[in-house]
Amino acid sequence: MKPGWLLTIAGVAALAWLARGLVLPVFLAMAFAYLLSPAVAWADARAIRRSVAVGALFAVIIAGLLAAGLLLGPRILAEASVLVERLPALATQIDRGLDAALRELAEVAPVLRRVFPEGSGWVHRFVLDRPPWDPSDLFEHAGHLFLLAILVPFFAFFLLRDMPRLITAAMDRLPPQHVETSVAVWRELNGIIGRYVRGVVLDGLVVGALAALGLWALRVPYPLLLGLFAGVANVVPFVGPLLSAAAAGLVVLLTPGQGLAALARVIVLFLAVKVLDDTVIQPFTIGRTVHLHPALLLGSVVVGNHALGVLGMIVAVPVATVLQETARLLLEHRRVLARRRLRSDAGRLRG
Amino acid sequence: MQERRLPRWLAWVMDREQARRAPFLARSPLFAGLPRRLLGRLATRFLEKAYHSGEVVFHEGDPARALFVVVEGAVEITQATPRGEHVVRTLGAGDAFGELALIDESPRSGSARVAAPARLLILYKTDFDALMVVEARIAVVVMRNLSRVLATYARRNPVVVTEPAPRPEAADPS
Repeated sequence: MKPGWLLTIAGVAALAWLARGLVLPVFLAMAFAYLLSPAVAWADARAIRRSVAVGALFAVIIAGLLAAGLLLGPRILAEASVLVERLPALATQIDRGLDAALRELAEVAPVLRRVFPEGSGWVHRFVLDRPPWDPSDLFEHAGHLFLLAILVPFFAFFLLRDMPRLITAAMDRLPPQHVETSVAVWRELNGIIGRYVRGVVLDGLVVGALAALGLWALRVPYPLLLGLFAGVANVVPFVGPLLSAAAAGLVVLLTPGQGLAALARVIVLFLAVKVLDDTVIQPFTIGRTVHLHPALLLGSVVVGNHALGVLGMIVAVPVATVLQETARLLLEHRRVLARRRLRSDAGRLRG
Repeated sequence: MQERRLPRWLAWVMDREQARRAPFLARSPLFAGLPRRLLGRLATRFLEKAYHSGEVVFHEGDPARALFVVVEGAVEITQATPRGEHVVRTLGAGDAFGELALIDESPRSGSARVAAPARLLILYKTDFDALMVVEARIAVVVMRNLSRVLATYARRNPVVVTEPAPRPEAADPS
């Protein structure tokens, strides 16, 4: 490799390290841009200027968010505040339940009494009785959220507006012998990521709505909040649906008058939603975007979790699919170049 | 096909380059007969690239992944012969080449070399396939035009014959 290339790669890596705080906003902005790209493509096909189309789209989204906030916001906030009010009582209930279970277990294995002494109040200790937040921490978290709320739409706007110009500029700098493969890789990846992002969001919306409706029909408290959680958690493969079912099950267990039968109904509901999701919803939303072997799929989620936590689990599947497809196309390109060299060598020998 | 006229007060909304691209594509024999709405959708799938004189767009034998349309400049299609490279035809603005990529990814039957500084529009097969899935009419019109192009090639080169399909194995009488 030429020293110039090495220096460029080192420079880009150093820049990426310095700007690592921008990784999350840029990632979210890309996902947001992919979500909106069909609407912008619709405007493109009608020869409407991108800046006008993207501006109008953002105006519609802001209006939609305001309307949704006015319609659903008060209900979700009310459910959340009731849950927060009931939290100390719920924690006491869970601690009592845990103590009872430990008492029973300690009769079989007395050593547990020393490891987990009775009346420890685990939930109180670890969830409620944490030292109060430093006000500066609160400001820092609020600052991060505010920055995300500004940066994500900002980056998404410019990505959507300027992407064709950036692609044309990049294409003009590509050596001709690499154009077809580069175009192939770019279009393939663009298609995979776009379909995956839009599919996952649509899938989350449908699953969240189904879960909320089912919980409301089963008279489980906080159906909107739990449905919202189910929709968001659905983005995380494997773990998300389990977490949302566990949260709903916990709410049922801690609600007076909702016994084991209610818990069984909630489990059946989440199983039904999962089966419906895998067999009917996902083929329509995500479709055949992901061609990964199930073992590779699970492995990528585990690796993603180790590397970047929840964000890693969310991006693991598209990243693994993209890497697999890129490797396939680049290997094919290498074979083509090798064949070309062989042909030209043979031509020289004949000449 | 005429460029769509907008009222003067709305003209600032129009993307002039995109508005020019659809009528330009309509002049190509491959996309003739497509309605304006579909031409607009098709036009958004093309990428554009500038080539210098002498640059090779693709080599004979490379897997075919994209169709090219000449916006400006000139491109020569060549084929290797025992006596060296033979120029089959020279293409100018509005001409398309590499059309067979829209059918399959079999190797290119010739090489394409830029004869005069050119700008080319590139349509990748995957993009075209995705568009065909949602707009069947594009498939019907383009494939009909493509058949005409192939028929013209076949008439010019009557030695081209279709290979007979492999016969099913005769049933074993025993």
